[in-house]
Order: sequence, then C-alpha cells, then structure tokens
Amino acid sequence: MVLKIFFPQCCNKADSGLLVGRWIPGQNSAVVLAVIHYPFIPGQVKQYIHQMRGQSGVDLTVLGSWSMPKEGQEGMESFLRDLSTIFPQGQWLQLSREMGKIGFRCHVLTRDQNGKLVQQEKELKEDGGGEKGGTKRGGGEKEVEGEEGGGEKDKVIFIHYEQRKVMLSQLHPIDNGVPDPQTESQLPQVFGTVCQSEPLFFLDKYDDGPVKMTHWQSEGREGSIIVELMKQASTPVCLLTTWMLTLWTSLCSSRILNMRTMRFISSKLSTCLQLSYRTEHLQTVCSPTRATAHNHFMRKANIFVSFFVDVSLGLLLVSWMYRENRIGKLANTLVPAADHVAKELEELLQWLMGAPAGLKMNRALDQVLGRFFLYHIHLWISYIHLMSPFIEMILWYVGLSACLGLTFALSLLSDITALLTFHIYFVYVYGARLYCMTVYGLSSLWRLFRGKKWNVLRQRVDSCSYDLDQLFIGTLLFTILLFLLPTTALYYLVFTLLRLVVVMFQGVLHLSVDFINSFPLFAMGLRLFRSYRLAEGVKFRVLVRNQEPSTPHDDTYPTHVSFTVFLLDKPRHVYVSPTSQINPLKVSSVVQTYRTPTYSCYPKDSWLALCKKLFLGELIYPWRHKTTKID
Amino acid sequence: MGADSGSGAAPGPAVPWRKVLWERQPFPDNYVDRRFLEELRRNEGLRQYRYWAVVQEAGLVAQQISCVALFLTLWLYMEQGLLSPSTLLWTGLLCALLGYGLYQALAPRGDSDNHHRTRWSDLQSASIFLSFTFGFSPVLRTLTESVCTDTVYAMTALMLLAHLVAFPYAQPSPPGSLSLNAALFASVCLASRLPGDLHTSGGLDSSSSPSSLHTFTMLCWALLVFALWPCLLQRLRDCAPWVFGCVCVLVGVCGVGGLGSLWPGGAVLLAALLGTVTLLCPLLLIRLQSDKDNIQGPWDEAEIQEDLTHFLH
Repeated sequence: MVLKIFFPQCCNKADSGLLVGRWIPGQNSAVVLAVIHYPFIPGQVKQYIHQMRGQSGVDLTVLGSWSMPKEGQEGMESFLRDLSTIFPQGQWLQLSREMGKIGFRCHVLTRDQNGKLVQQEKELKEDGGGEKGGTKRGGGEKEVEGEEGGGEKDKVIFIHYEQRKVMLSQLHPIDNGVPDPQTESQLPQVFGTVCQSEPLFFLDKYDDGPVKMTHWQSEGREGSIIVELMKQASTPVCLLTTWMLTLWTSLCSSRILNMRTMRFISSKLSTCLQLSYRTEHLQTVCSPTRATAHNHFMRKANIFVSFFVDVSLGLLLVSWMYRENRIGKLANTLVPAADHVAKELEELLQWLMGAPAGLKMNRALDQVLGRFFLYHIHLWISYIHLMSPFIEMILWYVGLSACLGLTFALSLLSDITALLTFHIYFVYVYGARLYCMTVYGLSSLWRLFRGKKWNVLRQRVDSCSYDLDQLFIGTLLFTILLFLLPTTALYYLVFTLLRLVVVMFQGVLHLSVDFINSFPLFAMGLRLFRSYRLAEGVKFRVLVRNQEPSTPHDDTYPTHVSFTVFLLDKPRHVYVSPTSQINPLKVSSVVQTYRTPTYSCYPKDSWLALCKKLFLGELIYPWRHKTTKID
Repeated sequence: MGADSGSGAAPGPAVPWRKVLWERQPFPDNYVDRRFLEELRRNEGLRQYRYWAVVQEAGLVAQQISCVALFLTLWLYMEQGLLSPSTLLWTGLLCALLGYGLYQALAPRGDSDNHHRTRWSDLQSASIFLSFTFGFSPVLRTLTESVCTDTVYAMTALMLLAHLVAFPYAQPSPPGSLSLNAALFASVCLASRLPGDLHTSGGLDSSSSPSSLHTFTMLCWALLVFALWPCLLQRLRDCAPWVFGCVCVLVGVCGVGGLGSLWPGGAVLLAALLGTVTLLCPLLLIRLQSDKDNIQGPWDEAEIQEDLTHFLH
C-alpha cells in the first residue's frame, strides 16, 4: 500500500514544527496544509485547530512533525517522537530534511491495538542526485520503476504541490479519457481540502497570534487595493442597481403595458426581447447575495464582463454615429431606400403579370393577383411617406438606445428591417396561403377523380362511392385548380424567395446578437491570463527517483513527485512544460462549459423538412427563439 | 391411354398398382397404369355463347362509342357556328325533361311517398348542377387559353379513351368515378376551345375566348350524355330489354348520321368501327372458343367452397 503525502512547496524550507493537514479517508494519503513552528503550547495548538475545523469544515488534524534542523540544532528526534504522545493519532509522520539535500526522510509511526507506537516504516533516504525530469502522463501514474523491497515494506510517495495555484484553481471533471477511480476520488478531495482550508491561511507572519505558521500566504496576505475597494463598493452599488431594476420591472409589468396587443408587439420586436433579457442578466449580476458555487460565480462574472464590453462597444458606435450628424444622413437615406425597394417590387409584379420567362399564365388570375399585390405595396409605401418627416427625429432618439449596448443596436437594425419590409412579408403570406390551398385541394380532388378518399381513422387511402353531384362538382374544381396551378406556383415562388432573403439577413443579425450575449468572455480571459484557475487534471513529474540502497537498512526510498495542474484529454500527446506548471482546460471546453444560456436563435427545421414545407406551401419561420432556460 | 409397363418387367395383375407414395411396390417408379390422366378435365366450365346474345351485349359498347361521337358532333356544330348555343341549350333542357319523365314512368311500382322524396332530391341535385355550372362558366372558358391547341386535343382524346375503357358496362347506373370524371374533364377542355361570340365578349378582345353560354351549354350536354343517359339506359334494360336493343341501334344510327353530316369520312370510319364491335367481335369470340384448351385436374390450387348455409339455421 502506497502512502501518498501531498506536501506544499512553500513548506520545503520551513523551520521545524508540526505538520497540520488532513488524512484523506480510505486512500492512505495525507494532505499537508501548513507547518506550525516552535515554540507552541500544545493546548493552544489544539484549540486553534479545533477552531479552524469549525470555521472551514475540513477535518484538520496534526499529521506529524517536520524537522529541518539548522546548524546547531540537534537532538530533536526524541523530542519529536514524544510529541506524538501529545497529539494522539492513528499514524504519525516524522518528516525530516537536511539543509542542502533534496530528499526527505520519513518515519511513519503507527499505533497498533495495544496503543503502543510501532515504527512500521523504515527510513526513507534521499539520494544526492539532481532532479530527474521524467514526465509522466495520465491521471495519477505514480508507479516508479526500479523499486526494491518486498511486499511487507510500504512505499511512500511525496507529491509536491504549489499551494497557491491549487487553492485558486477549480478542478473540472474530465469527460473524455478513462477516469482512474482511485485517483479520481483522491484528487478532487485534495483540491477540495486545500480550497476549503482558506481560513487556515489567514494568519501570516506579521500576525501576533498564539501560533506561528508557514503556508503560502505566510509572507503576507495577498490582496490588491483595487480588488478590496471594489469589494467594498460593490455592495451599495448592487443594492442601488437592484432597487432600480425592481422599479423598472414593476413598471414593465404594470397594467398599461401589459395589454394583449402590447404584449404581442413586444414579443415580435427583438429589441424588447433583448431588453427583457438584459434586465434578467442585470438582476442576476446585481443580486446582493454572494455566489457560492463556482458555476454561479463564473456565470455572474461572464455576464458582467460581456455586458461591460457590450456597453462600451455601443458607446463607441454611438459616438461615431452622432459625430458629424451621420445619423441624420442615415435617416435621410432610409426613405429613398424603401422607395427604391418598392419600385423594384412593382416592376417585378408587372413582369409577372405579363409573360414571365415565356411561361404561359392564366391571364385573368394573373391580372387579379398582380393588381391585388400592387395595391398593397402602394399602401405600405404611402404609410412610409407619411412617416418620413418624423423619421429623422425618431431615429435620432432611438439611436441613443444603442448606448445600452451593441446588441441593442443590432436588434434595432433587425427591427427596422422587419418594419420596412413588411409588405414583402404580407404578400408572401398571401401567396403561400393561396398556394397551400391549391395544393391541398388538388391532392384531395385527385383522389376523388380516381374514386378514392382519405380515411382519417386508418390514415390511408380507401375507395369510396361518391354521389353524382359530388363527382360533378369535384371534377369541375379539379380541372380549375389544375389549370390555375402554374400561376399560383409562380407567384408563390417569387415571393418566397424575397422573403427568404429578408429572413437570412435578419437571421445573421440575430446570430451575432446571440453570440455577443452568450460568449463567456470572463472564462476566456481567465483561460488566457490565469490559466491555472481552470484546471482539468493533474500531471505528475518525477523529481527524485529511488536509487540503489546505500545502507543495509534502507530498502525503500521515497519518491518525490511534483504536481502540476494540467490538461488531460489526449493521452497520446506528451506535453512537457518545465517552467510554467499550468496547462489548463482546452479553449473549446471553456466555451462549452461556461456558455451563458440565452434565447438562442437556431434554425428550427432541418434542410429536408424546410424543403418539404416550401413545397407544400406552409408558412416558414426558420429562426426560432428559445425561452431562456434557467439552470 | 394405356401407358402400360413402360420399362422393366411388370408383374402381373396379381398385385394391383396403387397410386401412393410411401409404399414399396414391385413396380418401377415411373410406372403408370391405365387410369393415367383419368382425372384430367378439359375446358371445364366452358360457356356456350349464343351469337345474338353476345351481339346484344356488345351493343352497349357500341352505344357508348356512338354517344361519344354524338357529343363530339355537337361540339363540332358549335365550333363551326352552325348551331347557336341557346338553341342547343333549350333542346338539351327539353331532352332532360323528357328523359326524366320516362325514367319516372319506368320506375318499379313502389310507394308514391318514396317518389315524392326522390323528386325533391332530384330537383335539389338539378339546381346544384345548374347553379354551379353557370357560376363556374366564366372561369372555365378562359382556363386553357394559354395552353396550345394540340395539347388540348391530345388531352381530350386521352380522357375520352379513359372514359370508354373505365365505363362500367355491366352496371351503368351508378356511374363509375373515373369514367365520369374523365368525360367531364374532356368536355371542359373542349368547351374552352369553342370560338367566342363577338357580341358578348367585347370587340377589343382579339383572342377568341368562348362566351359563358357556349361553355354552359357544353357542360350541360356533357352532363346529359355522360351522367344521366346511362341511368335511363339501365332502367330501360331492366324493364324492357327489347326496347333497349332498339335504342342502341337508334343511337348508333344517329351517331353515324350526325358525324356524316359534317365529316363523311368520319362517318364511314365510325360505321365500320361500330360494325366491328357489334358484329365481328362476337363472331370472333365464338369462333375462338373452339380453340380453347384449358385443362383442370387435381393438381390445381384448392378453392375453398364456403358453404355458408349452415349459418342459416
């Protein structure tokens, strides 16, 4: 059974003292968190540890003793062994190290049933060689070749970890690759132990407390003034924002704005959708409660950063547009553009009413449909002309709303396009409905022609004996519909193509809005700049290998392994990084894990279903808005 | 047929040969005795046709062909402007009334109550026909304007052929869906090719689109000829078979005569066709019966003769 000791790198050069940490149950491993130096009063130490246990919730105990004697300090061995009686444990570690040497010595004292301490472990000696940089792959390959020793001798492995990085990082589960069950449950426990023992690391060497400790923060607590200031300022700001948001939501849900027509309109306009969505986001971010789970914290951070970027881009856009009155120029070109589109449409309809592409159309129906659609287009253009004096002013004020973010500007653009091309939508719906009726009528009457009918109960075609008048009228209608089919089909085709063009344009805008909404910028920033915080696994690197025994007593040797936080998903690659120890989560996994769920816009139907719908004449709304899902 | 002891020695009649499969017999495997092919039956169920009966039945087919010819004659008359549509319309209505009266007169003696109800539903059907046809006539007349004339004629011919093929000759009374629909489709196609009446369709219209009256007349006659006439014919056949024969002959003569007044060559062709169908084909049928050679025997598939009388206790 291998005894694994997780030893922090900051304590490598610590003075002698007591080891404080946690035994990981069932795994025969121990995590050392700090070293308490001499002099200490055992009672105070016990009290402190008890207090820490309560504060952090981690099962802290005294693991053993650590001795790194300076010159002139000898004879600590018996003293250290006596300590084990003061702090009664199942197993007592006695680690010692000599200045200038790299390896450790480790004694393990076990308490047997009689309560007597038995020294089970032999001494483990270091060797004088340097670090061997053999990288090992996989999740926790800790077997070292060449170990001697029989079965009764236990092996000890020291795993050095950098306490600061382990404390700050967040271990993500490996979803590909074979998880090693023994290591899997151990590593998250190690990470969890270090993370949760944060209260233990509050005392630094400048504090005047009963105990003096060495850990990663003992040189002085880490902190930055900006972060502290922001933390202090955040609470009142959050409260203020929450109050304003409650006002806003209560205003939105007031009775005036909640009439059915208003609700209908606001559900169709993407700007209102985006507004409600952003309100929700802000509510999430500005909630005064702290984020407990890591997911929650990341979500908040992502939303905040994306909102910030969005608003800054929006402000940039506004400042560019309002300089030199560009917005006025835009407004002035809007109405002529709409006019131009309408003129093109009219020409198209005139072409259809003639003999388009040499096709023979039914003249009467052609004329009727053409005049009908021309009239509608004319109506819509008249409305736009009516509005043209006000357009500049409206656009000027509405454009200010782009201050709220770039996404708002894009949604606004999408809405303006929808409004200006409303006549295209109109004629498309008419044409599609007409065509749909024609197709359904034809299929049903074709069955009548052959003397069959559709059995709704059995979902199949059955024979049927029709009456004389049914047959007569059915045949007449069939003939009429058949000869009118080319005309309706052509109108339908032309209008559907126009509609699809508009829909594609709007879809592109919606996709970009969605992208800005959901991309996890904060997580990406963390991945690029503080990559150790998003960890996926660990990589072990052997520092000191066991060597030939030099004394007859020393049969087994400690193995020292260094612990780097690492990315583990392609076991075939050998990734060696001797200087920076952090290889984090893959970029695509970052995006996938931390993507904010939004009302994402995605095509509702597959291509085949879309073609089928187009053929049958059903109305298509290819982009569907999902409602926001709450995790 | 004595396929006696083909090969090998046959033992004497002491051990009779039995036609069983599982028993070892002293005969060779391919031995058959005198009773070979005893159970063969030739031309079982052969019907003996009588010439004149077959001719009478074939008369129905000829009658239908001449109906189609009559219809085409009417269309030709209207197309060449020899008959005005109003004349034809009134003639058609008159014929319809006469036919209806005959139909009712020949009805089997039931209760008069039934008759009244039927008359009312008949009136309803008639009004539906007339109103719909009149309503759709303006639409129908310009339906095939843009289609080439040859295509229209081809479609018409195809549809009339389908009508003749799918016609329920055994029971014409409820008209078959496909045959009636095909005939009506053909009539709509033809109706849209009638020349227009310049007074009614307006002088500025350069293309000759038929007026609504032409289309309406055409459709009414199509209904008469293809939908209502077979019902009357069925009635006649049921009640007075000898009248039925006369009627068929009359229709044939009218058809040939009508076609002859416009296109003598066509009349000759039609007469030849009718003669073939009525006289020659039954002769062929009967003659060729003697060449029939069907064999039946115990090797045929078993037909389950369901005797349902035991359900009738």
